[in-house]
Amino acid sequence: MKGKHRVEYLFASELFGRLVWFVRLRWLAVAGLGLASLLGPSLGVHGASPALLIVALFVGAANLFFTLALRRRKRRELPYDHLLACALRQIVLDLTALIVTAHFTGGLQSPALLFFAFHMAIGTIILPARMMYPLAACTSVAMFLVYFAETRGFLSFHPLDPSRGMCGAACHFNIAALIFALFGVVALTDSVTSRFKKRNVKLWDTTEELKKRTEDLQRSLEQVETVEERKSHYMRISAHQLRSPLATIKTSLQVLTEGYVDPASDRGRKLLQGAAERVDELLATVNDLLELAKIREGLKCAPWAESVNLNQLLADLFDALQPLAEGRSIRLVPSFRGVCILDRGIPPDLVYAFENLMENAIKYSKEGGEVEVRLSREHDRAVIEIEDHGIGIPPGFDEEVLNEFVRAPNARHHAQGTGLGLAIARETMEAHGGSLRLESREGEGTIARAVIPLHGGPPESPETQSESHPQSED
Amino acid sequence: MEEHTNILLIDDDDVFVEAVSAVLESVYRVRRAANGKEGLEMVAAQRPDLIILDVMMDYLSEGFDVARTLRNDTDTATIPIIMLTGVDQVYNLRMEVDESWVPCERYLEKPVAPVELLQQVAEVLESR
Repeated sequence: MKGKHRVEYLFASELFGRLVWFVRLRWLAVAGLGLASLLGPSLGVHGASPALLIVALFVGAANLFFTLALRRRKRRELPYDHLLACALRQIVLDLTALIVTAHFTGGLQSPALLFFAFHMAIGTIILPARMMYPLAACTSVAMFLVYFAETRGFLSFHPLDPSRGMCGAACHFNIAALIFALFGVVALTDSVTSRFKKRNVKLWDTTEELKKRTEDLQRSLEQVETVEERKSHYMRISAHQLRSPLATIKTSLQVLTEGYVDPASDRGRKLLQGAAERVDELLATVNDLLELAKIREGLKCAPWAESVNLNQLLADLFDALQPLAEGRSIRLVPSFRGVCILDRGIPPDLVYAFENLMENAIKYSKEGGEVEVRLSREHDRAVIEIEDHGIGIPPGFDEEVLNEFVRAPNARHHAQGTGLGLAIARETMEAHGGSLRLESREGEGTIARAVIPLHGGPPESPETQSESHPQSED
Repeated sequence: MEEHTNILLIDDDDVFVEAVSAVLESVYRVRRAANGKEGLEMVAAQRPDLIILDVMMDYLSEGFDVARTLRNDTDTATIPIIMLTGVDQVYNLRMEVDESWVPCERYLEKPVAPVELLQQVAEVLESR
């Protein structure tokens, strides 16, 4: 919320409160006028009584109307402009009543003149000064006209003390003093209230800013907590993944060293071989954990990022994986459409990721099957699809298996794996501003679909930004 | 008498199963299952005197589900169970809905020394 709206929102509620107070205060004026009209004759003032009573009744009736009108509304319902108009009407009524009262109580000699200053002060507290200065001017003109009409005989003169006549030259001073007092009170009251108003606006702004900052901080804290929780979970799972094979190795070796099985027997050899396999598993897991850590650190800054030709990268992988595919009688089918060159990429990470995806496709294919690798360009993105016709992923696991150490049940029985390969591939794509999704049907096969923006690349750290700019200028 | 005592070992780690079997076979008869489903089928086929059960197999808490299934069936409810698992007890239990109920007689963390394992098995069988 800004500017005018903010001020209006801030002061509408306050203005409503002041109007209620103003209406209550007016009952005092009604009572005062009534009392003056009743007590007037006993104090020797006779002529003014009927007029004062009429004014009192009139103001009382109007005030009853204002009271009922305010009561019907709820505080939040009334817009600021409406409240201002309401206040303006009430002050105009008060001033009119006061001018009439002044006329019937001696014109410029009336004690009621004091109440003009009073009204100007209240008016300036409730209304903006830009409304009160014209009101002060109108009141001055009106009183001057009353005085003028009284001296010229257009209006009758009602002195409180009939034995005295009009004040004559002294009245010129009275009218000057009245005008000075009207404007002076408005100016003084405005200087005090506007300072308060400004302070209120500033305070409100500061409170809003603080509220926003607190919310931001709260959000950041929640993010940090989530990251911490994830880290801790990751560390625990990692430790478990390392401990399991270690426990197996230890138990196998203990069984052999403590003489339960003869190491030279078939069973002994089987246990030793099993322990060796677990050592290999441990090494693979440790290597993958290191790779994952590297990608995560690389997310923050990648000074070694360079232009990467994906066609070349995938073609090299075809050569490298040919022996593995041949070992399972699987045909690798490339299908490249167009040339995809990333502006900025981290070649070893991309090789590792695509190698993992292609290895998975080969590992989980049925013997004698086919693995197709498609590369195409869609707008400013490279789309790589690796499709196999293997065991597939059970429903509900196609997102899960992209997380660390999650392996689908059918994959565990089918082939060895660290449970980190897909997580590495996903994080590599994300580090390059892209994504990795799996589409799969259990028993029918899987399509791994990687999308990488050609002109995105890993986010640049502030230090590396300046270094990479000259490249784009070339 | 002991060589007629029948122990069922349910664990998906074939090397670990081979090693533990070698230890237990020095005293008992041992049968093996590679996952919860196979394990339950083997219990139904021939009631074992004791079950040694891993927790994390095809999924995170498969062992607990197997133990619950056994305890909820009046025919198998009294078969003693030893949990033998790689994940520590506190963490494992936190994954469970009902933390107050551990559906087993003993909870052992891998690796367990052969002597320790034989002793635990003997104790559980005795207290049957």
